Amino acid sequence: MAAWTNLKTLGLIDPLKALEKRNPSYFSRYTGLDDEFGYKLETFARWEPIFRFCYEDYFKVDCRGIENIPEQGRAILVGNHSGLLPLDGAMITIGMCNAHKSPRRVRYLVTDWFFTLPGVGNWIQETGQVRGTLENAQKLLEREELVGVYPEGLRGVGKAFPERYRLLDFHPGFVQLAIATQTKIIPVATVGGDEIFPNFVNLKAVGRLLKMPFFPITPSFPWMPFPHMFIPLPVRWLINIHKPIDLGYPPEKANDRKLVLKIAREIQYDIQRDLNKLLRERKSLFTGWEPDEL
Amino acid sequence: MTPFAKAYRHYIKNTQQCDNYFGFDIRRLASVEPFLQFLYTDWWRVQFTGLETLPKEGPCLIVGNSNGLIPWPAFMLMYALMSQDNPRRLTIVADMDWIEDERVHSYLLQLGFVPWSSTNLKYLFSKGEVVAIFPECLPASSKPFSERYRVREFDWTRLLPAIEEGTAIYPMATIGCDEASPTLVNLDSLAKFLGIPAYPVTPFFPWFPFPANLATLPVKWKMSVLKPTAYEAHSNRDTLEDTAKSQSRFVEGQIQAELNRLLRTRIKTFI
Repeated sequence: MAAWTNLKTLGLIDPLKALEKRNPSYFSRYTGLDDEFGYKLETFARWEPIFRFCYEDYFKVDCRGIENIPEQGRAILVGNHSGLLPLDGAMITIGMCNAHKSPRRVRYLVTDWFFTLPGVGNWIQETGQVRGTLENAQKLLEREELVGVYPEGLRGVGKAFPERYRLLDFHPGFVQLAIATQTKIIPVATVGGDEIFPNFVNLKAVGRLLKMPFFPITPSFPWMPFPHMFIPLPVRWLINIHKPIDLGYPPEKANDRKLVLKIAREIQYDIQRDLNKLLRERKSLFTGWEPDEL
Repeated sequence: MTPFAKAYRHYIKNTQQCDNYFGFDIRRLASVEPFLQFLYTDWWRVQFTGLETLPKEGPCLIVGNSNGLIPWPAFMLMYALMSQDNPRRLTIVADMDWIEDERVHSYLLQLGFVPWSSTNLKYLFSKGEVVAIFPECLPASSKPFSERYRVREFDWTRLLPAIEEGTAIYPMATIGCDEASPTLVNLDSLAKFLGIPAYPVTPFFPWFPFPANLATLPVKWKMSVLKPTAYEAHSNRDTLEDTAKSQSRFVEGQIQAELNRLLRTRIKTFI
């Protein structure tokens, strides 16, 4: 039975105070900052309990290796994209906010499509995401931020259910960025995300008509009345954060396309290998992994 | 002139000079050839891509994904290499120590199987043979149906001899094999009792009388051989092992990525 204590601050008029009381180090780190990408601590504090409820009580995320993310300095998080709504990024953000020794925010690079939706674009920026362009990523890294990238892009989110946990080829841009700015890459493998919204059919024609990247048919999606169609299945999640990879190439090598592609493939294969291993160890969808066997 | 000699003139000519140190017998191959041909062209309708990337002569190593106790992908690769324009003999290096029945053992040796050892592999490379290995090894034989087309971790020591000799490594991905004989349950305790690596229960396996229990489903197969990745040849032992480890991980990833690609483009399983 799920615990509801994480949601009890939702009704408060001032969510900032609740955040300050609960997570003082995060609050003091990011309060009063003027962010050019539109981050607002108040919006984050208002929405954080809902996602914390998902993290702790609904998906019961088992976050391993979170200590591999450095306390200071820049890094690029690279993961496998999953779920029709990109909740995997949100779960890592919540993990970084609540489970890390020194809480940090993760700035995810988001596709342009979300900014065409009324209201959503602002909300995405205020909770810490950034429009995915090369300049934005470079600026963020210069400011020693933690940048999250999903190199599979939108195609990775719309994966059909039989193709779950089968990575599409990574776009090698993130390696180029990492070499050019001398940043470490942290691969992240997420299991569970692909099953929260089982995407059985993808109606491309309808999607094109509505200017959506895809139009999925899930057990709940177009059928149920409004908020219910976005309720995910209570699948047990596991997020495995690998050790940071120091590429160790000089910045001039960033234009060596062959090398960049090879490194991107190596990181992709590492994540896929880890996914295969975690899936093999998983007992079932809703009970997850037995802790004593790990 | 027998029909086999007529159809495989070039193959016989090419294999005449090969050495038969391990007991390869072309008559044995000729006796199973109609069966292999039936499986390849009619039953599984194998669609093979990338065969032309293999070298015309000289040694090369083909690394593939496998499943089940009977190495059907190996047989299909053997037939494909036999019937192409530039036919070559395939030698499959595999774990054969668990086969206690000498008749089965010698039968496999006559078809071109060789027991795994790094010396054997190096010997074959020095003779300029095409060698196939399946480095998931015996754990792959107990892979359940829910894990189909997910490559188990490769044993990197299997690739070490090739790295030492500097042989080109060609990854090969096969889809169809895991659905042709789906492992529903693997009975571990019974396998241990019988002394075999796995006891897979398939829709056919223990239920039907002998030849029928080896039956498979007529799934459409796709096999593809990828281009080899270049690696630096080292003489130093320490760096050699690191190269073998990273190369085996990379090849494993390449095969898994190719499997994902083939699965994504597949529309129907049986057609």
